[in-house]
Order: sequence, then structure tokens, then C-alpha cells
Amino acid sequence: MILEAIITNNVVKIYSGGVKALDGVSLTTEEGSSHALLGPNGAGKTTLIRIITTQIKPTSGSIKVLGFDVISQGSRVRELIGYVPQEMSLWTELSGFENMLIYSKLYGIPSAQRKDIIEELLEFMELRDTANRLVKTYSGGMIRRLEIAIALMRKPRVLILDEPTIGLDPRARSLVWSKLLSFKKEHDMTIFFATHYMDEAERYADKVTLLNRGKVIIEDSPVRLKEIVGGNSITIKLHNSRDRDYIVESLKNSEFKITILDEKSLSFSVNNISRDLPRIIEAIYKLGVIVEGVELGEKTLDDVFIALTGMRVEETPGRLREVLSTRRMIRRGG
Amino acid sequence: MNYTGFISCILTMVEVELRRLRHDPIEIFTRAIQPVLWVIVFGSVMAKVRAFPGVGDYVTFIAPGVIMQSATFIALAYGIMLVFEREAGLLKRLLTVPISRVAIVLGRSLAGGIRASTQYIIVLIAAIIVGAKINLNPLGLFIGWLTIIYVAMGFTGLSILIASTLKTRERFMGIIGAISMPLFFASNALYPVDIMPEFIKIIALGNPLTYTVNILRKILIHGDYDILVDLFALTVFNAISIMAAFKCFSKIIE
Ligand SMILES: Nc1ncnc2c1ncn2[C@@H]1O[C@H](COP(=O)(O)OP(=O)(O)O)[C@@H](O)[C@H]1O
Ligand SMILES: [Mg+2]
Repeated sequence: MILEAIITNNVVKIYSGGVKALDGVSLTTEEGSSHALLGPNGAGKTTLIRIITTQIKPTSGSIKVLGFDVISQGSRVRELIGYVPQEMSLWTELSGFENMLIYSKLYGIPSAQRKDIIEELLEFMELRDTANRLVKTYSGGMIRRLEIAIALMRKPRVLILDEPTIGLDPRARSLVWSKLLSFKKEHDMTIFFATHYMDEAERYADKVTLLNRGKVIIEDSPVRLKEIVGGNSITIKLHNSRDRDYIVESLKNSEFKITILDEKSLSFSVNNISRDLPRIIEAIYKLGVIVEGVELGEKTLDDVFIALTGMRVEETPGRLREVLSTRRMIRRGG
Repeated sequence: MNYTGFISCILTMVEVELRRLRHDPIEIFTRAIQPVLWVIVFGSVMAKVRAFPGVGDYVTFIAPGVIMQSATFIALAYGIMLVFEREAGLLKRLLTVPISRVAIVLGRSLAGGIRASTQYIIVLIAAIIVGAKINLNPLGLFIGWLTIIYVAMGFTGLSILIASTLKTRERFMGIIGAISMPLFFASNALYPVDIMPEFIKIIALGNPLTYTVNILRKILIHGDYDILVDLFALTVFNAISIMAAFKCFSKIIE
């Protein structure tokens, strides 16, 4: 039988200032799976995660974690989850090892086991050599790995991560994820994470819930979500920028769906690439336009998001500010 | 959560503070600068003009008061740390760890109390150098130190309460700036209660600093251990402030 790690039912959250951050969110996370909550800045991801982790109460609705109600059985829930907040959760004036030691005591890990557990996790997270340095000298990736190591100390059944790789470069991101997935596999842990990175949800989640303005737009596996928009995209790069509008104008009554990408490139959305590619090339050739290159691509979750909401996930205003302030926080420390 | 878990959580919160101090011990000295200057400059000048008759040697008289003033200020400022920890994600995480929130508040208060007491010996030495007559009985010195930690715990509780309610650095520092000096002047730290105007006398009698300074004067100057009444007053203050801090603490991450 598949157990549900997290079930939320019609969760509404209205902050005291009157902001409706969640507007009836219902979702389900199967035990042992990896579930992404994907949405632009301000979608309500952090709010939902803070409710699930018993930090704040919903205005209405119910939430269960492994069968326990987060409102009435909060302390049971806290026993079972590991959590890494979006911002930084370490004492920066202490060393990495000291941070782990302090949390191991707070978690009530018996003193005989503490050292072994800490050493093992530091090794696993590739932090052994830097364990005695103060956290304020750590890079963003090291900070995240240490925070995750702390969350894993008690082998939580459900690990909840809020934007685990925000502000990290691609290499640091993939290291964080390879560690997460290998731990998940070994301990059969459930991962529930919020992200605004499309590719992160696509690559690392079994199921993706698209959240926008406090509402679930759709919930399914990344593969199935991409089937909704279907097919491939063909990007045509042009030699002359003035040809762009000429093509759009000339082909506006054709069967192709065209999106303008930038000055000199257009994207064609197609369902059957082997049939449509020659036809597109032929049509453009007939217009006498010089083509510099053609790129074939798969649809991304971004296309799903555009199709369903008319906006892109990553281009929401305010994003930059938040990344900067998170980075500043990581540097300045707590 | 069981009893040992509760105690261990309190001690772990103190451990964080001590480890922090160990990494940055200079802080203990920088914190002692201000009270040392009070004793040396203000104390010796005022001793010369004999502004307050009946207090005996003035430097001796104000040494305990100045120690308490600086301890109180450090304790009251402790909440800024929680404001920082709130802005980072530390508090969010701490509140999702399965530990008692009462233990967190008690532990942080005790940690603040200990932090506030670290300049005690340095200021005493400075006072003795400029002529204060301090009773150097080790037991007395130790009880004096415990007293400082105890009342600073209460002031840290007050600070946690303010931090949990106001939440931003600016508002927090504003309030702390507004209350710490009046607290000092409306107490018996710099002059005896008898010479105050009636309405300030009333404030001074409701001011926990007055009772703490009383205890320190009795122990450190007169070797007098008749301190139960003062201790009782401090206990009432501590109970109220720490309980109120606990009530508001969960609100800090909202
Ligand atoms: N503590 C708060 N008080 C009031 N409004 C808030 C608070 N936290 C978040 N919000 C608002 O709720 C909405 C959702 O925010 P959040 O859950 O942080 O989104 P996300 O994590 O998806 O970026 C935003 O409009 C945000 O401004
Ligand atoms: Mg967020």
C-alpha cells in the first residue's frame, strides 16, 4: 500500500495584513517519492511549507503529515520531518562541526552516537575538511550541504526543503542534488521541495505541483505535464532582424504556432517534428529569408506554465531582489 | 519531551553562547570599556565634588551600579540576535525541531544572562584600581556573579519579548535605546533612592535594577548577606518577564 507522506486539503492562508497567500491548496505526496512545488516568486510556496512544518497555522483547511494532523499533533509531526528553510539556518560564528553538534544535542541524539553520526554525514556531504572552519567562511553550496546534513541527522521520514539550491551555481546545485537523491534512495525517504527552477523540478521530482497566486494549477509527473503542451519546439535563428516580423506576418494564417524569442529568433511549436520541420524550412525558404541556424528542443515545464497561465515562471518581477537578499543573508549570517 | 531533554535543551542554548564567546573573546573586553570608563571618569570626578553626602566613598558606591548598568544593557540588547536569527532562517528551523519552546526561551534567557555577566570581574578590578573598597570574599564574589546572571536573565526575557513583538531591527533598537538610560537613572545605581523626587522614587522602587544593585552593594561592599527580600523582588520580575517572553516567542516567526 502506498502511504501518503503529505496531504493538504483545501488550505487557505490569509496573513494578518490581508494578503491571501494560499487559496485552497490541495495536494498529495506519496511516501518515498520526490515531489516538487514549482511556482514563481510570491506563489505561496514558502507559506505552504511553513504550514506543513508546523510554524504557522492555516486560516482554514487541513494538513496531514504521515497521518498526523499538523495543527493538533504538531509535536508528532516535528518528530518525523527534516526541514531546511529558504534562508540560512546556521550559527555563522560557529564552525560547521559545532553547528552539527548543537543540533545533534537539540535532536536528543545520545552522546555515544553523536560523533559517529556527525562524522559520517560530514564525510557524505564532502564537508569533512572544512568542518572546523567558521560557517561564515563557507560558500553557498557548502552552507546548503551542511544544513541538509543537519536535517538528515535524525533520518527523517519526510525531508522538506524550501528552494534548496536558490542562488547556487550549476555545479553546486548538482552536487546538492546528487547527495539528496543518494540519501533518499538509501533510506527510502520522501522529499518535498519548493523551487522556482523549472529544470530542477523536471529533473529531480517524480511529481510536480504547479502553484500560481496561491492556487494549484495542475499536478502530475513532469513527463505527463510536458505531454499537455505536446511535441517539440523548433528555434529558427535569422540573419536579419527585420525578417522576423516578416515571417510572423506571412505565416500568421499557417498551421504553425510561432513565438518570438528575441530580435533574431523565433520558436515554432510542433507536434510531429519529422513532418513539420521540412515544411517550416520550406515555407521560410520560399519567403527568401536567410536562416543562420536551426535548433530543436523539447518542451519544458515553462511551456506548460505559459500554456496554462500565460506567463513564464522565471521572469516574475521581484525575483532578483529576493535572490540578492537571500545571498546577502547567507553572507551576513544569523 | 522528558525532563532531561528539557534541561539538555537549556544547556545547549547556553553552549551556543559560550562557543560564540570562545571564538570571539575580544568581545568581553570591548564590552567592559564603557563601564570601566564610567567608574574611572564619572566615579572619580563625582567623588571629588562630593555631590551625594552619606554614600561614603563614591567610587565604591557606584561600582556595583555601573556593573549592573552594563549587564542590563547587554541583556536588553540580546534580542537583536533573535531579530537577526529571524531574518535568517535559524528561528524557523529551531521552532521545527522537536524541543520544548519553554526550554528555548529559558535557555536563551540564561545564555543572555551569562553573556551579560562577562565584564563583571574586569569592571571590579578597574574600580579597585581607582580606589573602590570591594570585599574580596570569594563566596561573595561568586554570589554577586550569580545575582547578575539571574537578573540579566529577566532582562533578556524582556528583550526577547520586545524582539518577538517588534520584529525589525530599527524598531527594536529604538525601544531599547529609549528604555535603557531611564532605567539606569531611575534606579539607585548612581545615587541613593532617598534623594530622589517622590515620583522617581516610586519608579525606582519598581525598578528591578534597584534591588540588584542593593544585593551587590550588600555583598560586595558590606559583606552582608541579608538579601532575601531583594531576591524575592527579582524573582517576581524574572517570572513575569520570562513568562511573557514565552507567550510572545512563537509569534516571532509569524
Ligand atoms: N509573514 C508574512 N506576512 C504577510 N504576507 C506575507 C508573509 N509571508 C509571505 N507573504 C506574502 O504571501 C505571498 C506568498 O509568499 P511566499 O509564500 O513567500 O511565496 P513564495 O515562497 O512562493 O515566493 C506573497 O505575496 C508574500 O508577499
Ligand atoms: Mg519562498
